Amino acid sequence: MKHLLKIYVTIFLFIIGSIVYLYFSIDNTQNKLSKNVSSLFITKAEEFAKNIKGKIENEVQSDIVTTLRQNTQLREKLETMLYAVTTDSYKYVYVLYKDKNGEYRYLLDGSTQDKGEFGEKLNVDSQQWDKVFTTQKSDLLVQDKLDSLWVTYLSPIVLKDKTEAILAIDFSPELPNNVKKALKPLKNIFIYIFISIFLILLLLLYQTILNIRTKKDSITDQLTEVYNRNYLRDLLKTININHYQIMMLDIDYFKKVNDSYGHKTGDYVLKNVASRIKKEIREQDILIRFGGEEFLLFIYNKGAITKQAYNIGERIKQGISDTKFLYDDNSIYITISIGISATPGHFKTITEAIKAADSMLYIAKTEGRNQVICDNQWDSKRSKNSENIFHIAEIKEAIEEDRLLCYYQPIFSAKSHAICKYEALVRLVDKEGKIVLPWRFIETILHTNIYIQMTKKILDIVFKNIAKHKVEISVNLNFSDILNQDTFALIISELEENTELASWLTIELLEYEVLEAGESFTKNINQIRAYGVKIAIDDFGTGFANYTVFHTLPIDIIKIDGSLIKNIDTSEVSKKIVKSLLLLMQELEIETVAEFVHSQEVLDIVTDLGATYLQGFHLAEPMPDLLKI
Amino acid sequence: MKKLLMLLLFLPLLLTASQKEYEIKILFAITDALFPNTKVVKVWTDTADNNLFLQDIKKIQTVNSMREADILFLTKKSDIQNDKMKFVTSYKLLKHYKKSAIAGFYWKKGRPNILFIKKNLLKYKKKLPNSMSKYIEDEL
Repeated sequence: MKHLLKIYVTIFLFIIGSIVYLYFSIDNTQNKLSKNVSSLFITKAEEFAKNIKGKIENEVQSDIVTTLRQNTQLREKLETMLYAVTTDSYKYVYVLYKDKNGEYRYLLDGSTQDKGEFGEKLNVDSQQWDKVFTTQKSDLLVQDKLDSLWVTYLSPIVLKDKTEAILAIDFSPELPNNVKKALKPLKNIFIYIFISIFLILLLLLYQTILNIRTKKDSITDQLTEVYNRNYLRDLLKTININHYQIMMLDIDYFKKVNDSYGHKTGDYVLKNVASRIKKEIREQDILIRFGGEEFLLFIYNKGAITKQAYNIGERIKQGISDTKFLYDDNSIYITISIGISATPGHFKTITEAIKAADSMLYIAKTEGRNQVICDNQWDSKRSKNSENIFHIAEIKEAIEEDRLLCYYQPIFSAKSHAICKYEALVRLVDKEGKIVLPWRFIETILHTNIYIQMTKKILDIVFKNIAKHKVEISVNLNFSDILNQDTFALIISELEENTELASWLTIELLEYEVLEAGESFTKNINQIRAYGVKIAIDDFGTGFANYTVFHTLPIDIIKIDGSLIKNIDTSEVSKKIVKSLLLLMQELEIETVAEFVHSQEVLDIVTDLGATYLQGFHLAEPMPDLLKI
Repeated sequence: MKKLLMLLLFLPLLLTASQKEYEIKILFAITDALFPNTKVVKVWTDTADNNLFLQDIKKIQTVNSMREADILFLTKKSDIQNDKMKFVTSYKLLKHYKKSAIAGFYWKKGRPNILFIKKNLLKYKKKLPNSMSKYIEDEL
């Protein structure tokens, strides 16, 4: 848009420049024409002067003043001759003599109007006249101080080498005026054209400014005055992602600011956070309000400085946490979490790169907020922790090459010890054909579209097996999968395709995240249950256990965390906790699964305590095929 | 923009005003030369139209009666017989009132001309400053 404006301004200035040039060109032409015309008239005046002087010299031999004072008849004769030369262009033709005091007085005057009498003094520019008088050379005197005259042609009358008088021919200003008049229509046409062009240009400029302003409004977030998603949509089509690093920023606990201080305060904070971010970035960086309190930042990084975005992110984070936001006497301190995709060029599409930055933001949030997580650092950190972790590209390749499969671990009835159902457990097969356990790849792909692809594959495999064997199978999903629009849409789509089989499916929600069953979460769970799907909470009893979920969530089964079960034969505390949990679930009419049943002792205890189902290596290990019920 | 438009509209008037101002300045210089110690010079003119013009000149106050006037401002021939000091606007009038005309200012061949008549300056006991002496004519 800046380039467009520059082009418009350049064109505008060029046309204005051309107009000014043409206008002055006309003036120049006019001056040249005036000069040519006047030189014609001057030449003619010189001829007249020559003739007049010749005739005077014929009539008067010496002392012209005395001769003409005494000879009135000769004076009249000569004045008639001067009158004959007088025209509209040669306004006055007269002869002046210089008296003993150096004053110029009329000797002859060919004018009929404004006629000077013999001996009458005429106020003239003495200096110029004296020059002609002394040098005896004709001269042209420009009358720039007099409006009624243009130029005066002066020619000395010399008798016997003595200057006796000066013949003067005053040129009418009508001459140059006539030239001006003749050219005026042409000049006017140009002026009208110029004015029209100028007005059209002004109109175009105004229209352009309006367009730019409208365009700017449509791509600018009114509150924070940074770009909005409309701009992002256009940007994604043109941006060279290799020149940027992508940063996703989210204000921590912003909802609390809105809830505690009101939306006006929230708006104030948002506006000032955006302003604070802008202070830390450069002109070539692009800041976009991505969502409510979420910003997307493209850091220009053509020089490929790996840590540039990280350094800017740290500055932003520090700057915001150091700022006290004051509104309505309230001092508000906030922090910001930042996720960075440092090498977006490695992704197939920019959308994937943005999602990667979003994943890093998610990690920053789950790791305690108020921090900057950069994907390259995070990957290397993980690599250091375990060299066995699969890289995202390897996982993607495995899924695309259909090297994803499910193992099934049977779940037994505690009463009959018969297999009731199965838990599907995802596995990858590496290039050497070895089975890879989920801990080596799940975390890497969480919050990426690869994770969604994997979820779809698993659901497809599971539904095929349900269709084939007509058995209940449970699959593991995260709480965030239910809230994530893409994953949720995928689950619903799979259920729609397998409506008749849906009631054989159990979704086990992993409880490693904080369980906050919000309105939309409950709504989504209810939608899934409407297909007949059972909902189980996995690993319940440790970590983020939150009993309030039973108020709002329609839970069918809980799976007691393995860490409680595996020591139940040696730890009284574990036993008491499990006992209490099982009693509570009986009261709530929720079925229970005791995991990690690894010995006969454990099996006996959990059976006695009243668990509904049992699962563990003691009973059956996960297998690539379903064991026959 | 508005100011520029107003300037363009009134430019011809301003130019006319400059010509008028030029005449006012000359007439003031002449009046001041003739009446250096008089604060208000009373002037009678034979043309009513001149009243407004003369009022613009510093020191000058127009009067309706010739008798009250310090000087008469004449623009045409008439048979005024009194001996009041006269200021005229043409060479012919200078000659016509040669006994009492003390000065004249007129345009000739597009040029401004000032003349003082020496004999009448002496008659009315007027002494001109040196800067004006070049305009003094011994006789017409």
